[in-house]
Amino acid sequence: MSRSGSLYIERPSIIHRLDGSTKLLLLIGWTAFIFMFMDIRIFSIMIVLGFSLLKVSKIPWKSIKPLTYFVVAFSLINSLILLLVTPQYGSELSGSYTKLISYFGGAITLETVWYAVTLSFKYVSILPITLLFVFTTHPSRFASSLNRIGVSYKVAYAVSIAFRYIPDVKEEMMNIMHAQEARGVAFRKGDASLVKRLRNFVTILVPLLISSLNRIEVVSNALQLRGFGYEKKRTWYNRRPLTINDGISILLMTGLIGLGIYLKSQLTYFWLFY
Amino acid sequence: MSDIIQNLKDSFGSYGFSSWQALVSLLFVVVVIVIIAKYRKDIFELSTRSIVAVGIGAALYAAISFIAIPIGPNTSFRIAIALLTIFGALFGPVVGFLVGFIGHALNDAMAWGSVWWSWVFLSAILGLFAGFVKVDKKFNPLKGLLEKKHIVQMYLFAFMSIFAASLVAYAGDVFLYGEPAGKVWLQIIIASFSNFGVIAVVGIPAVIVLANMNKSKQNLVEEE
Repeated sequence: MSRSGSLYIERPSIIHRLDGSTKLLLLIGWTAFIFMFMDIRIFSIMIVLGFSLLKVSKIPWKSIKPLTYFVVAFSLINSLILLLVTPQYGSELSGSYTKLISYFGGAITLETVWYAVTLSFKYVSILPITLLFVFTTHPSRFASSLNRIGVSYKVAYAVSIAFRYIPDVKEEMMNIMHAQEARGVAFRKGDASLVKRLRNFVTILVPLLISSLNRIEVVSNALQLRGFGYEKKRTWYNRRPLTINDGISILLMTGLIGLGIYLKSQLTYFWLFY
Repeated sequence: MSDIIQNLKDSFGSYGFSSWQALVSLLFVVVVIVIIAKYRKDIFELSTRSIVAVGIGAALYAAISFIAIPIGPNTSFRIAIALLTIFGALFGPVVGFLVGFIGHALNDAMAWGSVWWSWVFLSAILGLFAGFVKVDKKFNPLKGLLEKKHIVQMYLFAFMSIFAASLVAYAGDVFLYGEPAGKVWLQIIIASFSNFGVIAVVGIPAVIVLANMNKSKQNLVEEE
C-alpha cells in the first residue's frame, strides 16, 4: 500500500515488531486502566512510562510534537472552561472547601484547580499509547490484527479501505473546491460572511457524494469479482505469527489491569495532595 | 427494582447525576434494534457493497471532519455530521453506525493523536439512528424511492438520535473521562444544536436531492 492516510513511520524497533493486535490490546488495556482512576500519582507514572516507550519505538520527536502540543492546549482550554462552569466541582468530590479566588457569583476552590490539573494529566497519560499505536502499526497489518482480536474480517477490511481512500477523498475534495472557487464560490476567510461560507461548503458535499457513490460501485464490483465475502474466513497476506514478545506484552498488560483493580479498591477516587 | 435504582443513584451520587437515565436510553436503543432485527434480518447483514460503503464513508467522514469551526469549549461545528445521515439513509443502520465509529476514530487519531471514545460513540449513534428509516422497504434513495412520510420519519429519527447520542456521550465523559457534569452538559447542548442543524439543513435535504436525481434516471418498473 503505497498511498495511505495513516501516520505510520518505519523504524527498526521492538515495538514495531510487535503484532498489531498486541498493540491494539495494549491500547485498550492502557485506556481502561487510566479510566479507572482520578489520581495524579498514577497518571504521572503512566506518562513517564508512555513517553519512555515512545523513546524505545524510535519515533522522531518532530512527528509527535504537534500532536502532544495539541493535547496540552486542549487540556488547558478544557481546564479553563471547567473552572468557569463548575468552580466547586473538586470540592463536591473531595468534601473539603478551600477558597482560592472569590468573585461575586461564587468562588473557585483549590480542590477544583487540583481537579483540573489531575484531569489534564489524565488526558496526557492516554496520549502516548495512542501515538505509539498510530505511529508504529502499518495500516494493512492493522486490518489483519483487528480480525485477529475477533472483529469480523469484513469490518476489518472496511477500516483498511478507509485508510486507503482518505488521501483520494481529500484530493477529490480539493479538486471540487477549486472548481467551485473558479466559478466564484467563496470558501476563504474575508471573501464572504461566515454563514455564507458555511453554506458554500454544501456545494462541495453533493458532488463529492456522487463521486464517492460511483467509487463505491467500482470498488465493490472489483471486490465481488475477486470473490470477497464468499467464505466465512479469510487469510491475510500481511499477517505474521505471534512472537514471544507479544506474549510477554499481553502478560504485562494483564498484570497492569490486575494491579489497577487492586489499587482501585485501596485508593480513594480523587486524590488530593494534602 | 426501586432498590436497584436507589443503589445506582447512591453509587453515582457524587457525580450529581443518576446513571439510570443512561441505562434507560441504552435499553431503549437495544429494544429498537431487537425489534428491527426481528422483522428485517437482512438489514443487519453486511454485503460487499455495504462494506465498501463503510470504508469510503469513513474516509469521507474523516476527510471532511477537517472542516470544523469551533463554537464552544472544545466543541466544533462539523459539516461531516451530514454524511452520517446520508450514509445511514442510503445503506442502513449498520453502515451508518460503522461510518460514524470508524470515521470519527480515524479522524481523531490522525488529526489529534488521541481518540475521544465517548464522542466517537456519539457519531456512531447518530449514524445508527439515521439508518432506521431504511427498515421500510419502500424507502430506497439509490433507486429514487422516497415518499413524504419518509422525510417526516428521517426528521423524527434525527431528533431521537440527538437524545440517545447525547446520553451516551454524557455517560462516557462523566464516568470514564471523569469530567464534571455541568461542563459536559454545556458542550453537549452546544454540539446537539449544531449537529441537529447540520442534519436538518444539509443531511436530510441531500438525501432528498439524491433520491430525486435517481428517480429521473429510473425508467424501469420492478415487477412484484
